[in-house]
Amino acid sequence: MIDPVQAFVQVYNSMPPLIQELIRFLYSEPFIKAAIFPGALFSTLLGMFAVWFERKLFARVSLRVGPLHVGRVAGILQLIADAIKFLSKERIIPEGVNRPLFVLMPCLALILSLLLYAFLPFGAGWIIYPSDIGLLLFFLVAALSPIPIVLAGYASRSKYPFIGMSRIALQLFGYEVPLFLALTGVVLSTRTLNLEKIVEAQAVVPLAVTQIIGFIVFIITLLAETERLPFDIPTAEGEIVFGWQTEYSGVYFLMIQLAMFEKVLAFCFLGAILYLGGWLGPPIPGLPESISAPFWLILKGLILFTFVALLRGAYPRLTIEKVLDLGWKYLIPLAFVNLIITAGISLISGYSAITL
Amino acid sequence: MDTALWTLVLYLILTIVAPPIFYIVSVLIAPKKPSRVKRMLFESGQTPIPARVAPFPIEYFPYVIIYIAYAVFAVIAFIVVLDMLRSSESLVRGLIILAVITAGSIYASTQLPVLKQRLERGGRG
Repeated sequence: MIDPVQAFVQVYNSMPPLIQELIRFLYSEPFIKAAIFPGALFSTLLGMFAVWFERKLFARVSLRVGPLHVGRVAGILQLIADAIKFLSKERIIPEGVNRPLFVLMPCLALILSLLLYAFLPFGAGWIIYPSDIGLLLFFLVAALSPIPIVLAGYASRSKYPFIGMSRIALQLFGYEVPLFLALTGVVLSTRTLNLEKIVEAQAVVPLAVTQIIGFIVFIITLLAETERLPFDIPTAEGEIVFGWQTEYSGVYFLMIQLAMFEKVLAFCFLGAILYLGGWLGPPIPGLPESISAPFWLILKGLILFTFVALLRGAYPRLTIEKVLDLGWKYLIPLAFVNLIITAGISLISGYSAITL
Repeated sequence: MDTALWTLVLYLILTIVAPPIFYIVSVLIAPKKPSRVKRMLFESGQTPIPARVAPFPIEYFPYVIIYIAYAVFAVIAFIVVLDMLRSSESLVRGLIILAVITAGSIYASTQLPVLKQRLERGGRG
């Protein structure tokens, strides 16, 4: 019998130094984190899973079966078939569009959406870039993400994308303020911008209980920021064709769709981290904490995503005036009320205890 | 380089190469038979009417003003809220900024319903 470990060591030692270096690099912590978990491979697979999951769930809500034929179980390979379909479509750039913007903006949208995962901790130590201002960095990237969308609509130079673009500009920028204010409440009650410390602060009770108003505001702004129903007036299929994405097809459309789903999921995970206690959960017998922690967080994030996806089956679309009224007239005051309550509790519960 | 930063740089490189990979796969497997009809803008099968760029709807202009004011305040609050809580002086300053912004936005929202008529009147006169 040959010992596989020893055989590997022998083969490894007989390799040229350059390949040895490469193997060491592939096995190093930075590469595993950046490329596998919680990095590129994980976020891409998760995005594809979410597309399938949402289609299946929405089909069940409307008494259909959903993806069925591709793949042995429940059409699980449908998402791969869809990806291949989009990739094998002809790349059409319509007449009169602003070509550089039209081609670059879907790429930029995808890059920005994927970049959100760099700041999300999936367990103690399971984070690509741990930082004391993690929440701020996340929102730096999230605040940039409307720009490629608005420019993509502008670059199409056509009327349906234009209508969708003007709607999405109003909607995304309008809901950014309540989102910031809701998160200010979280920062105020946990006294840190570090996402890992925010999770640790929820060891006793999750912030969804103590920050219930902030949590409601966060969920509504999540839906609006990621264009989910009932806030999908910028794409509104059946009214303005497909809104700002009308002129996009093939690989560009695939990139936009993937970017949108990655963004929804990143926001769902952020919600789970900030309000639902993150990776804290009962220990699973037989599993080390380094595996059970990401499991709980992914479970919580997917539960939040299920809720978001179910709303698609339950609500009709709001008109743009109502969307703006809700954001400016109700959510911002609500977020301020939440902030004032939190500040009051913080002041009462111990002025001297405040340390950064 | 420190490990965390190096991980971030690696991840950034991976995210930046993702769109070109999609594009290259598409170049390899997609057909290429361009025609004029395919390149026309979407118009439900009709000949497109070339009304391509329109001004932004003016009815929503006050929202832009409110947005600029509140976005700045929200970002400031997000960053300095802990300091505000610690010293009463900066809390008072924060409340003054908030009061000014709120006064401005209340004015803007009262102007919102009548703005369109005022603009039309101005245009005629």
